[in-house]
Amino acid sequence: MFNQNGLSLDQAPPISVVFRFFLSGSLFGLLAGVLVLLFGTEIFNADTPQALILTHTLTLGAMLSFMFGALFQMLPVIAGVKLTAPTKKAALVQYPFVLGVVLLLSAFETGKAPLFISASVLLGGTILGIAAVMLKNLLALPNHSNSSRGMTVALVSLTLLTLLALYMTGTLSGLWSGAGYSEVKTAHYSFGLFGWIALLIISISFQVIEMFYVTPAYPNFISKSLPMRLFGLLLLGSIGAFFFAQSWFFVDIAIVIFLLCYALMTLRRLSQRKRPIADATVWLWRTGMVLLTLSASATLTTRFYPVASLQAINYIFFAGFALSIVFAMFYKIVPFLTWFHLNAQGYFTAPMMHEVIHPKTAMKHLYIHLATLAAFLVSIYYAPAIYLAGSLLILSFGWMLWQIIHAWELYIHTQKTGEKFEMSMPEAEG
Amino acid sequence: MGISQFMTDEHRACDDHFAAAEQAAVNGDWETAEKEFLAFSNDTLTHFKREEDELFPAFETQTGNTQGPTQVMRYEHEQVKGLIGKLAEALEAQDRDAYLSLCESMMILLQQHNMKEEQMLYAMCERLLPPDLKEETLNKMKQVEL
Ligand SMILES: [Fe+2]
Ligand SMILES: [Fe+2]
Repeated sequence: MFNQNGLSLDQAPPISVVFRFFLSGSLFGLLAGVLVLLFGTEIFNADTPQALILTHTLTLGAMLSFMFGALFQMLPVIAGVKLTAPTKKAALVQYPFVLGVVLLLSAFETGKAPLFISASVLLGGTILGIAAVMLKNLLALPNHSNSSRGMTVALVSLTLLTLLALYMTGTLSGLWSGAGYSEVKTAHYSFGLFGWIALLIISISFQVIEMFYVTPAYPNFISKSLPMRLFGLLLLGSIGAFFFAQSWFFVDIAIVIFLLCYALMTLRRLSQRKRPIADATVWLWRTGMVLLTLSASATLTTRFYPVASLQAINYIFFAGFALSIVFAMFYKIVPFLTWFHLNAQGYFTAPMMHEVIHPKTAMKHLYIHLATLAAFLVSIYYAPAIYLAGSLLILSFGWMLWQIIHAWELYIHTQKTGEKFEMSMPEAEG
Repeated sequence: MGISQFMTDEHRACDDHFAAAEQAAVNGDWETAEKEFLAFSNDTLTHFKREEDELFPAFETQTGNTQGPTQVMRYEHEQVKGLIGKLAEALEAQDRDAYLSLCESMMILLQQHNMKEEQMLYAMCERLLPPDLKEETLNKMKQVEL
């Protein structure tokens, strides 16, 4: 899938590789909205199958799709990693991945062993496969940036959390007895939330914030050491839990303090940026960092005063944080890729980035996103608001779906009708 | 100061002019925008010339590889130059929307290019070139003019 050759010719992978993952991410996001409408406020009770199904629709179906898409876009630049024959191979991993997610969600609903087993084979194979290929190339890098080092650690976390998940699905399908199930479960979601989602976002931000918004560099204690420390803490908590019941108590406190430092520092860097435009992506980053700050504070509070509603609120804060950054990346990547490929193919009529997705269109999504979060928060205290929240979630992902389809149509239209001059350098297939 | 540090500092200095020009365009101060954009494009083109005339040939001679990374970097320079031309047109026409939209593309394109150089090409030069050649190349690069 990848081929290491020092520097890659393409600054971007074929557009369809990234778009297809964004497309499946949006579709799972839509499904999440529908599930909220079906399940109502049951989703706030972490012990219900409904909560389990919704969480995996969002994290595995939607977020992981978007994150794979974003990694396919960023790795060639960060790691000089070049995709070889990527279009076919991307399809080859995407179909089993999507099918695997659907099977897993049905397995959670029905508890049937064959569903768990087939989901495990498909998801384990595709996720571990993608992570292994990406890791192989990242580890072969002669020089690591803070960003590529962080991504490597995040991908190791993804691998670990997937292996832990396979242990759990194996238990649920009766393949083995499942000793230490609850410790494994805690390790699984801790690596998922912090080791994978938060750490990947942190690593991406080391590059995106400094370089694209032109800000001062992150201080070394964050950019150099935070990924490894976070990972070390997660290992400590996971292994410690088998010997010492309180191990996560202390580890969680240390983790959220790191996350607080990071989020506050990022907010500060965003206010120090030299590029003036406060477009939707800047506001989405800010929203994400405020939500991460709130989530970390809520986690700290619940460690000392366990309040059920605070846990539900924290769930919304953390999901809101991750989705804000996913949206922020989306609104940079989709217009850039569309413009870049058409421009590199030599079309005079290549649309500019603002013509692919207008800044006002992205701004409207920001408002929808904020309204969605507000509706979810209200629904904790006033249950009927959950239907508004679910509908807004559908609107939110529908908005993205529309942008992807629009950008794709513009891309095809320009290729069909646009005038071009021949370039001497070959351009990868679209 | 080594090659890598010197060239990385130049990347950052170009960013500063670029951001100042963008800020001025947002404010509708086209005079300042023009001044800063001119500084940006002069500095960027001089920087490219330092690379293409001195650094890349030194790398190519040392490694015997003229079709590898330096070829890619040259190609990307052409892409950036194309965008500089389009930005200049938008500036001339005082077309705020077009200018800001092109700024977005430029920023991503240029930063991705700079990142590859800083993380790979410059690092490879630091490692592969013998010390005296490094010193000589750096001195020659400093003398390059547009
Ligand atoms: Fe260059
Ligand atoms: Fe350079």
